[in-house]
Amino acid sequence: MPNKTLVCSFVDKTNQGELNNQEIKSILASQDVGEHLFPKALDAANVGVVITDNRLPDNPIIYCNSAFQKLSGYSRAEIMGRNCRFLQREDRNQEERHRIAEAIREGKHLVTEIRNYNKDGMLFYNELYLSPVKNETGVVTHFIGIQNDVTRRRQVELDLQFQRQEAEERLEQRTLALRESEEYMQSIVQTIRESLVVLDKDYNVLSVNNFFLNTFKVTINETKGFNLYELGNGQWNIPHLRRLMEEILPSNNPVLNYEVDHEFPHIGRKLMLLNAHRVELEGEYKDRILLAIEDITERRSIEQRKDDFLTIASHELRTPLTTIQGYTQILSRSLPAGSPERVRSLVGKLSGAVDRLNQLLSELLDMSKIQSGYIQLHKDRVPFDELVAGVAESMQTASPGHNIILEGSSDADVYADESHLVQVISNLIGNAIKYAPDEQRIEIRISRVGDFVKLSVKDYGLGISPADQKHIFERFFRVDKIQKDFPGMGIGLYICEQVIKNHGGTLWVESDLGKGSIFSFTLPVYAEGKEAGHE
Amino acid sequence: MNKKILVCDDDEGILEMMELFLEDAGYEVIAVRESVNVLSEAASRKPNLIILDIWMPVISGDRILRSLRAQEPTASIPVILFSASREGQGIAEREGANGFVSKPFNLDELLQQISEKAS
Repeated sequence: MPNKTLVCSFVDKTNQGELNNQEIKSILASQDVGEHLFPKALDAANVGVVITDNRLPDNPIIYCNSAFQKLSGYSRAEIMGRNCRFLQREDRNQEERHRIAEAIREGKHLVTEIRNYNKDGMLFYNELYLSPVKNETGVVTHFIGIQNDVTRRRQVELDLQFQRQEAEERLEQRTLALRESEEYMQSIVQTIRESLVVLDKDYNVLSVNNFFLNTFKVTINETKGFNLYELGNGQWNIPHLRRLMEEILPSNNPVLNYEVDHEFPHIGRKLMLLNAHRVELEGEYKDRILLAIEDITERRSIEQRKDDFLTIASHELRTPLTTIQGYTQILSRSLPAGSPERVRSLVGKLSGAVDRLNQLLSELLDMSKIQSGYIQLHKDRVPFDELVAGVAESMQTASPGHNIILEGSSDADVYADESHLVQVISNLIGNAIKYAPDEQRIEIRISRVGDFVKLSVKDYGLGISPADQKHIFERFFRVDKIQKDFPGMGIGLYICEQVIKNHGGTLWVESDLGKGSIFSFTLPVYAEGKEAGHE
Repeated sequence: MNKKILVCDDDEGILEMMELFLEDAGYEVIAVRESVNVLSEAASRKPNLIILDIWMPVISGDRILRSLRAQEPTASIPVILFSASREGQGIAEREGANGFVSKPFNLDELLQQISEKAS
C-alpha cells in the first residue's frame, strides 16, 4: 500500500506535467529507489508503517519506519522480530484482534481501529490499514500495516459522544420534568372546584377544565373553539361584561367578582361569580385571558338564610325583651317615693341587664350582616358636630360618675348612616367609660383635617398593650386579663371598624398600658354631588 | 276627656304592657291584637293616635298605614310605627309615618312622641 501511495504521488505529479512516463519507469527501475529512496520516503511519512513476514513463524515484524517507532515509543531494535500483538499488551479480548487474525489467516485487506499501548503503557487508538502482499503464485508472503494514531480524533469523538449522551439525558430529564410539571398543573386545574376557561384575544375558548364541563353540563366539542359570547344561550353576552372583558388585555385591568344571575341551559337559574385576568406570559401564551367562574348560588342562598334566621331570631328575642323592658320601666316609675333603696337597686340592675341584652342582640345582628356583606347603610347628609354632641350628652346622662368633656369642632357635614355612626361613637365613649372605672375624665375632641373630620375619644384608664392593640379590631378578640372584670363578646370594636370602613374612613387606637387609650376615626367631609363612600 | 290611642301588636305581652303603661299615663287605650281589625276599629272609634307594629301576620303595619291613609275618616290620624328590626326606620320614613320607635323602647321617649303627635 505505501508503494501504491508513493506511485500515486508520482502519477499525480505526472498529471501536473512535471515528469513523463518514461522518466517514471526509469526512476522506479533504478537501484537508488529500491535501496535508498523508498526507505527514506517511508521514514519521511507521518504514518507508521510495518511489514511482517508471513512466511516466518508467528508473522514477525521485519520492517518499521520512524513514524512507527515514534508512535509506539519503542526503538527499531525493540520492535523487529516481534508479532504486532505486543502493542495490545494485556488488552487482548478486543473484537478487532479477532478480525485482524482472520484477515491474516485468509490473506485479506482490513481497515480497523484497535486499542494499542505505547512503551510507557499509555493507550492510543490505532487506525490500522492491513494489506497482504502476494507472490506470483498468489501466496501471501508479507503483510504491510499502515498505522495512524487517531487517539485525539477518537477522544474528540468520545467527548462528543459523551456530550451528546449527556445532552440527550439532560433533555430527557427536562422533558420528563416538564411533562410531570404539566401533568401536575393539569391535575390541579382539573381538580380545582372552580370552572376555568382560557380565552384567546378574540374571546374564543382555547381550553376549559373538567369542572367547567361538569358545572355547565356541556361537552368539550360544544365549548372549545367557540366564542365566549356564543356559549350556551348567550349567557355571557352581557354588554357591561363585554366592556369589562375588552379592557383586560389593553389595560391589564382584571374583571373582579362580576355576578351573573342567569337562566342557564341544562342547569337552570344560577348565580355565577366571574373573575378574569390577563395571562402574564410572553411568547406562545401571550394575550390570553384566564376566566374563573364560581357557582355561588348555594353560598348566597345559605348566607341569605343565615341572615334571615338572625333577623328573625333577633326580632323574636326582642319582642319579649320589649315587654320585660316596658314592665321594668313601669315598675321603676311606680315605686313610691319612700321605697327601700334595695328595691330601687334591684330594679336598676334589672334595667341594666335588659339594656345589655338588647345591645348584644344588636351587635350579633350587625356582625352577621357585616360578615355576609349585607350591612345596609342608609346614608344621608349629617351635621357631624351636632351628632357627636348629641351622643356625648346622652352618654353623660347615662354615666353621671364620669365627666365627658367635648372639645373642638369640624363645622362639617358627613355623608353617613346616622344610626350606625351613633352606634360607633356610643361604643367608643362606652368603652372609655367601661375601661376607666376609676378615672372620671373622658375627652372627646372633634377636628377637621383636610377633607376629613376627625373624632378622638381619650380615656385615662387601663390602656392596651402593643401586642393586644394589633388584635382589638378582630372579631371575638378579648384581652385576656380584662375578661373576668369586663365581660363581653369582643365584637363592638370589630363592628365600629367595619362601619367606619364602609363610610370611607379609618379607625385606629393609640394606647399606653396603665395610662389610657385614644380611639380616633376619620370620615370624609360631605361634598355636594360627591357622596364619599356612597354605596 | 282622655285622648284615645289605638295600639296594635300581635304579641300579647307587649300589648298588655302598653295598655297598662298608657292607661297609667292617662290615655284611653284601644288594644287590637288582630291586624285585620285595625281599619274598622280606627274608623269606628276615631283614635287621636295609632301605634302599629310593622311585622305582623296577615297584614303588616306598613300596609295598614297605607290603607288608613287611603280612606276617610282615618286618613288624617297620626300613626307611629314600631319594630324590633333596624329596617323599620327606613320603612316608616318611606311610608310617611308620623314617627318611629325601635323595640325595645324607652317608655319616656314613647310618651314624648305620643304627646307631640296625638291630634
